[in-house]
Amino acid sequence: MTSVATAAPAATAAATTERTTRAGRSVRTTLFYLLLVVIALIFITPYLFSVFAAFKPLNSILAQSPWRPPTPPTLDNFKTIFTQYDFGRYLANTLIVTVILTAGQVTFSMMGAYAFARMSFPGRDPLFWLYLTTLMVPNIVTLVPLYVLFAHSHLLNTYWAIFLPYVLGVPYSVFLMRQYFMTIPKEVMEAARLDGCSESRILWRIVVPISRPIIITATLLAFVFGWNNFMWPLIVTNSNSLNVLTVGIANFNSNFGVQWNLVLAGSLVALVPMVILFAIFQKHIVNSISLSGINR
Amino acid sequence: MSVATAVTTLPKQRKTTAAENTAEERQARRTAFAFLAPSLVGVVLFLLIPIIMVVGLSLVQWNMITPMKWVGLSNYVNIFEFDGFGHSLLVTGYYVLLNIPLQTAFALGMAMLLRSKRAGSAVVRIICVLPYLATPVAMGVVWNWFFNPSTGIINQALSHIGITGPAWLSNVVTAMPVIAFVNIWQYVGYNMLFFLAGLQAIPPTLYEASSLDGATKVQQFWRVTLPLLRPTLLFVLVTGVIGSFQVFDTVYVMTAGGPGNATNVASLNIYNTAFSGFRIGEASAMSVVLFLVILAITIAQFRYFNKRTTYEIA
Repeated sequence: MTSVATAAPAATAAATTERTTRAGRSVRTTLFYLLLVVIALIFITPYLFSVFAAFKPLNSILAQSPWRPPTPPTLDNFKTIFTQYDFGRYLANTLIVTVILTAGQVTFSMMGAYAFARMSFPGRDPLFWLYLTTLMVPNIVTLVPLYVLFAHSHLLNTYWAIFLPYVLGVPYSVFLMRQYFMTIPKEVMEAARLDGCSESRILWRIVVPISRPIIITATLLAFVFGWNNFMWPLIVTNSNSLNVLTVGIANFNSNFGVQWNLVLAGSLVALVPMVILFAIFQKHIVNSISLSGINR
Repeated sequence: MSVATAVTTLPKQRKTTAAENTAEERQARRTAFAFLAPSLVGVVLFLLIPIIMVVGLSLVQWNMITPMKWVGLSNYVNIFEFDGFGHSLLVTGYYVLLNIPLQTAFALGMAMLLRSKRAGSAVVRIICVLPYLATPVAMGVVWNWFFNPSTGIINQALSHIGITGPAWLSNVVTAMPVIAFVNIWQYVGYNMLFFLAGLQAIPPTLYEASSLDGATKVQQFWRVTLPLLRPTLLFVLVTGVIGSFQVFDTVYVMTAGGPGNATNVASLNIYNTAFSGFRIGEASAMSVVLFLVILAITIAQFRYFNKRTTYEIA
């Protein structure tokens, strides 16, 4: 009797705790998904609303809710910025400059990184320290003297000026790849050397294929930097024909600030290629960023 | 096998053909320098020389047309007395204080939430990183529209619930927080990735052991998670602080330093002094001071984090 009497309340207690934990779990799940939706909305709405607005005439942007998709969508804004203004030129300039900058920076940084990681030469360690020291210097510090140098070399207002400081390789990229190359066993290179492989053959045929993740990382970082770079192109170019997108958008914004249909369409010309890049390479980009944070 | 035998016979070969080897070594050295040359030229020409130059330029008066005039340290006095660089540093510091703690806390919070294996979290993880690629200048324009007092979405939404929103970007009180918000929006997902990687490296056995010892979730966070995330935290804080002290793009597009001088951050002041006023000496002195400020704060962060115990997980 006593055993039954004690067992019954125990059972109901167990049942109630189970019920409350299940209820608690479902509350927590709901809360979790609510937070997820809020977070996703915070990061997506600026893109979504500006896409909607860029396909609307100005009066609809001002009158309609930003949530409302354009009905019917109009291409007039894009037609205007590409024909009456020079956004085609800005886009082409940005592409050319960014591709050159990326190709040079990755290739030359990789060569430097290989020399530091797997070749021996006098002064290697002091030189590596020099790279590491300059790595710590913020960009803004070298801006004024760099401008003076370019002015004296008569390089202002040229394509060269826009990418030259970054195209020969940057310490960060050298450092990143050097750390990665250090993980490749020395014996691999030594064996190849004994087989009569030249150093450049070793780099391109052995090191590059093994090091694909870090090379993709360096490439993406360089491309995003080149595409988004603003302050330096703003300083070294002052002719409309040489403007990159960032400078073009900033000028356009200060001249036509309240014509939202046009300025938003202009901004999308810079934003959309990055979204596409992200959509294609999102896994690489996420891995790249994580990879750029290790070994520091 | 052939490789192994080749390696073992190598010393003998080296002894017999000593002369040939030095020629070979010289060749190897030449190749190494050829590999290094482009990036070395880049580092020396575009980083090392400008760093030395900026110190020299900070000691002269120069507008790039008339000859330079040596003025000693007087630029360092003038930038504080006449160019409001002290104010710029304060405003920049204020921006960093608004930006970094919130950004770091949100990044960590989002990492804790989104590391969940529940369906959907992977997608949201990726969405959070998307703004990292957004061109700051272009996004600044989009946010200008959002925060426009009359036609902007924010104030329209506020008016639905009976609130008259401020003129965000032309209001002395709200302008800087809005710029900080925009930058947090852009980089919080990026920083979240580092915390996700850091969290992944913490062995689950530590949580099991501590919960057996009766630790609550909150205690686990403060006693296990946070101490083991210290290297990640240091990385996120150091890179974040260095970056935010140089904030320029969003400020240039959204407020251009206004209203008044409320958002006239250090890099904007340097830009205007050098490229609107063509006062190279003063702008260089500002650059040197900003560099020293960033350096001091970076060293302080490393000191603080090294003083505390660090934990090694094998």
